[in-house]
Amino acid sequence: MFVTLVESPVANLANIGRALSAVGAELMTTANPDVIARSRTLVLPGVGSFGAAMAWLRSSGVAEALRTAVDDGAALLGICVGHQVLFQTSEEAPGIDGLGILEGTVRKLTGDIAVPQIGWNRVTVTHPTPLFAGLPEETAFYFVNSYAAMTVEDEVARASYGSSFTAAVARGTVAGLQFHPEKSSRAGLTVLRNFVERAG
Amino acid sequence: MMPAGRRAIPFEVIPSLDLLDGNVVRLQRGDFATAEIYGRPEPVLASLHIPPGARLHIVDLEGSRSGRPTALDAVERLASLGYRLQIGGGVRTIIDARQWIDCGADRLVIGTIAAEDPVMFRKIGDSIGSERIVAALDVRGDVVRVSGWERASSRSIEDVLETLEDAGVRSILATDVARDGMLGGPSFDLYRRLASLTSIPVIASGGITTLSDVTSLVRLPNLSGTVIGRSLLDGRISFAGAVARASAEQSIPERVIPCLDVRDGRVVKGVQFENIRDAGDPVECAKRYEAEGADELVILDISATDRGRRTALETVRNVAEALFIPLTVGGGVRTVNDFRALLRAGADRVAINTAAIIRPELIAECAEEFGVQAVVLSCDAKRSGASFRATIRGGREETEVDAVAWCRHAAELGAGEILLTSVDRDGTAEGFDIELLRAVTASLTIGVIASGGAGELRHFRDAIESGGAAAVLAASLFHDRKLTLGEVKDYLEECGIPTRRMLM
Repeated sequence: MFVTLVESPVANLANIGRALSAVGAELMTTANPDVIARSRTLVLPGVGSFGAAMAWLRSSGVAEALRTAVDDGAALLGICVGHQVLFQTSEEAPGIDGLGILEGTVRKLTGDIAVPQIGWNRVTVTHPTPLFAGLPEETAFYFVNSYAAMTVEDEVARASYGSSFTAAVARGTVAGLQFHPEKSSRAGLTVLRNFVERAG
Repeated sequence: MMPAGRRAIPFEVIPSLDLLDGNVVRLQRGDFATAEIYGRPEPVLASLHIPPGARLHIVDLEGSRSGRPTALDAVERLASLGYRLQIGGGVRTIIDARQWIDCGADRLVIGTIAAEDPVMFRKIGDSIGSERIVAALDVRGDVVRVSGWERASSRSIEDVLETLEDAGVRSILATDVARDGMLGGPSFDLYRRLASLTSIPVIASGGITTLSDVTSLVRLPNLSGTVIGRSLLDGRISFAGAVARASAEQSIPERVIPCLDVRDGRVVKGVQFENIRDAGDPVECAKRYEAEGADELVILDISATDRGRRTALETVRNVAEALFIPLTVGGGVRTVNDFRALLRAGADRVAINTAAIIRPELIAECAEEFGVQAVVLSCDAKRSGASFRATIRGGREETEVDAVAWCRHAAELGAGEILLTSVDRDGTAEGFDIELLRAVTASLTIGVIASGGAGELRHFRDAIESGGAAAVLAASLFHDRKLTLGEVKDYLEECGIPTRRMLM
């Protein structure tokens, strides 16, 4: 199973790369839009801010390449900020368009609670999805985030931090995870394996 | 035991107001002469942002002394505003009870009669409805007594509860008298004990001073609420904050973190930072801990030399390579470059200690460059009289810095979490320093990892429940297999504390 790992300068690729390898993916790490556009299975990691991530995706041509690949039926998994940029907009970067592959907007976590959220949180599957196959309906995953999609149409799992938010989305071949599967021990590796095997 | 994170009954936050001559007051040790006067109840409630609709616990101080209701006017006014009122003090006869109910009181807290005169108690119940009656149970140390019922102090708690059950009591207000008005935290053991002895729902009272106290109470079985007095009046906790905690879904697991003290590439463990002994290969230890359910791993490099620290970097690389849980690394981090090197080696978070005390801006610089989620302040605190001092150089050197104030300052500068080690307790297996933990967690919104002193299961519970810690850390205990991570997590879940369920 070949997986193209998008080499964004605002992502820590070592950890996610190691986790993907651990579940049997053969990795190609690249920022080349031509390679990305022709890929069948893509993983888009991300840390930092929505604005910085989008600025790089646009200027590098990767945004367009991702769109082309998805239109061609490629599987795409966004992680953390890589998940957030799948949507249309974010409160973190007003006026900056996301990739718009999925409908919805990303909002700041609010409530009587410390932001960013740093740590494990319980994720509840709200819509049956092959991504969470083999996991109980409620499973803990590791999060590091100040923003999240709150209510979106393609949601498949929710979590609660101050208030409730979307933990995972899936629509056709596109999926997104607000949490870090590469830091979520066996549960995280299970999700990655489900994505890689289904996509492959 | 109820499963962690699920409540069988709703939990109510009940502000308590002591009324004397129509004013809200606080007494020092029951002395009327030293009453601190806060003013009329309406403006006090407004200033505390306690809206109509809330249930209030009203103590009629004059009435409880004289044996006759005296705060009827105030109660009538508050009831007409929409507050739901439970009245304590001075209810001894059917006429008293009827007077309060006619003024708009919702429930009456009755101590003396419930135990002394079950026949009268039942008559009051028949007159106003037994669902309106709350039996007050006061506890001082091991002595359990019904409020005002001095002669019963030798009766067992089981016996007292049987009397209350026979009398048809549907709600108990339990106060740990020794803790009332004190800042040491609620008497969680008392409520746990009551839950094991009776199915009558219990309202907790006494010692609630932090929001994390509320969270801990919500996790206990069979509690229907808590009365909060002084801490609300003092502004130590807000009513809205307490209500939010009471209704919050308990979805955030508390973390159990094994720690590897590493020197020159080997895991070692010392007692009180001294008498170091060798304890194995870090990568093997790390893998075993993840398999056993560790939520995170901490590596503290205690190498004394530059060569040792270069070895540590290699160790971090090898451990990170083998691990799929978050990795925090500390020890010898002096500059932003040191910090970056550890992140590059695979650490998710880096703990800074001595260098931050010497130059606090280091915290802000690292938070700016790597994000607050990457910055952990490690504070090695040592008792010094009534307070705690921060120590440096692995606990060997004391400073003049107040540990509690330092942790708060570090949070303002951008630390995402505090790793708080009690130097006095480290390696002793005597339990975490709960006083130190409460002092730090009460003044912070970021998480605190409790470290130093874990020796048995209940220590982990106490650090979270009483200490307010978001995570508990131990090194030698896990390393020597005196306890496994699984045993600690099972125990915490039995205590109603949510943990990350292991995926087998």
